[in-house]
Amino acid sequence: MLTTWLEPWGRALLFGAGYNTSLVTLGAMVLGASAGMIGSFILLRKRSLVSDAVSHATLPGLTLAFILMATLWGDGRWLPGLLIGAAASAAFGLWAVQTIRDRTRLGEDAAIGAILSTLFGFGVVLITAIQSMNVGGQAGLTGYLVGATAGMLASEAALITACALLLLVAVFVMRRAFLLVCFDADYATTRGLNARHIDLIMLMLLLAVVVIGLKVTGLILIVALTIIPPVTGRFWTDRPLRMVAIAALCGALAGYLGVTLSSVRSGLPTGPLIVLAAFLLFAVSLLFSPRRGIVATLAAHQRFKRRVHLRQGLLALARDDAIYDDLTLRVLRRHDYIRRDGVATPLGASAARDAEHEERLWALYRNCYPDEAAQLDHQGLVPINSALPPDTVITLESDLQRIPRSVQ
Amino acid sequence: MNAALDPEIAASPLAVHGLTVSYGRKPAVYSVDFVTPPGSMTAIIGPNGAGKSTLLKAALGITRRLSGDVRVFGKPYAEQSRHVAYVPQRSSVDWDFPATVLDVVMMGLYRDLRWWQLTRRRHRDQAMQSLSRVGMEAFAERQIGQLSGGQQQRVFLARALVQDAELMILDEPFAGVDAATEKAIVEVLKSLKARGKTLLCVHHDLATVRDYFDHVLLINVRRVAAGPVHQAFTSAALQEAYGGRLSDVQLARIICPAAHLTQRA
Repeated sequence: MLTTWLEPWGRALLFGAGYNTSLVTLGAMVLGASAGMIGSFILLRKRSLVSDAVSHATLPGLTLAFILMATLWGDGRWLPGLLIGAAASAAFGLWAVQTIRDRTRLGEDAAIGAILSTLFGFGVVLITAIQSMNVGGQAGLTGYLVGATAGMLASEAALITACALLLLVAVFVMRRAFLLVCFDADYATTRGLNARHIDLIMLMLLLAVVVIGLKVTGLILIVALTIIPPVTGRFWTDRPLRMVAIAALCGALAGYLGVTLSSVRSGLPTGPLIVLAAFLLFAVSLLFSPRRGIVATLAAHQRFKRRVHLRQGLLALARDDAIYDDLTLRVLRRHDYIRRDGVATPLGASAARDAEHEERLWALYRNCYPDEAAQLDHQGLVPINSALPPDTVITLESDLQRIPRSVQ
Repeated sequence: MNAALDPEIAASPLAVHGLTVSYGRKPAVYSVDFVTPPGSMTAIIGPNGAGKSTLLKAALGITRRLSGDVRVFGKPYAEQSRHVAYVPQRSSVDWDFPATVLDVVMMGLYRDLRWWQLTRRRHRDQAMQSLSRVGMEAFAERQIGQLSGGQQQRVFLARALVQDAELMILDEPFAGVDAATEKAIVEVLKSLKARGKTLLCVHHDLATVRDYFDHVLLINVRRVAAGPVHQAFTSAALQEAYGGRLSDVQLARIICPAAHLTQRA
């Protein structure tokens, strides 16, 4: 059973499952990369929901284009025609959302909800109408809902790949302008950028990705490809363009895994498999990313706890207080700060003096700048030199020397 | 008025004429005229809601203006944006943004980098140099969310410094920062002035106006007074701008800080 699955999948993974499948795999990878890139900027601009509105708004245009082509030529399955229809109605949906947001008191989320459901509902009605028509190829339309790459023509796959590649280049060209607007649109304006235009370009690229991806992931699930990879990227880095690059990588990987898996058996939907692959990458990141992953967070908490115990232990040594806490004793002993019987070693005594000095600097800082100190979240546990600018530390040191010890 | 011909306006890094901004029907700034003297360090002062930040944002093209003319060295702002560096209020951005201190400062180099270029050592050095001018070079790799308020303000200042612009516009740079940061920022601003740059700064602490600035613009929706500090920063003008909300004791302390100190001594 397992081998009958693994063997064809392995062949697909190595691009050995025929010309068509290989081309589709390549297309899905490039698509995933561009969706991840543009999706990252959309996420940083805090407009992720817009991609949901765009994707659902494609349905009426798609079906209308199908009806139009079917009545003219008897067959409505020509991909470029369908995509143009989808793009037109997505653009209309986007325009409607913007207009409602700008002209009324409704927020963008409310506008998205209203437009998304209306246009999608309209599209479903049109699909029902098509099913009662007597034209060929209507079964193919459901492929646009959840994605179907199995029966894709080589020319279609080539078109998708080429468009996705173009988008990839476009996002790369615009990356710095996008970043500036995402971080601070006002500042971007003062640098001579028209923030509204940049926003519009961003949305147009998003729209293009959604439309191109219709056949691959389907319109319901394309939104996952513009949101999950960027969120995954956020786990691995604190740098903006690196996050975009990681999102592109995750998107490409999800497309690769999804399409190859769906080629194993006929009838396996591509979209859900791509999304599941994307989610798998997300789940792995959520658990194991070294910066923000759950495991790393737990480990960091343990380290933090030890640091608190170490500091408290050293301060107790400096004051000659007795230490009862087991963990504190263990941490001190591990650092060779105390002997087995609890007496401070020379090393421990000097560390205790340093800790006391640090503590006094921090106390002085809290005294002088209470508001500023309240904003720091580590409450004086980090070495003061690494937490405050050098000029501040020098001022504190000289202030500390002026104040007699008895007053402190 | 022909802005292109007036020599005073052609020389001014920022000249606004008849500037009106309105949110709904209520004007936030009404018909304000102001010509920034080149090489000056000007404070924009007024009570809360007087339209200080709005005036700047409208001059910079961030907020749409209802009427009025804005000139940078005699030409429209859009052509001259490279001459202006803006330091926004700290609260204007999301500090959880995935960026390091260095990334933010590099944004100041936006105009120097073409799309095909990768960031080079030269750009990095430039950014590090302006970071060290605000005492933040040790924080270059820090995520911006881990900084305190004063440190965030220093980073914004560094981003403006890297632009090396003729005019620097700051929106409440001293709001919610510690005394050490305030001192550090003032020193940077004074060194810019010494190099002939012009500074325009929304300021809320009346007690430090005399120490930090040489020119003032007092507004309360309308322009109340403007000019060199010793001429325009008077108790009468302050009373008018603040609508009589300042007591005589407060005024005496603000107008003559030296006299107040000798009195106490």
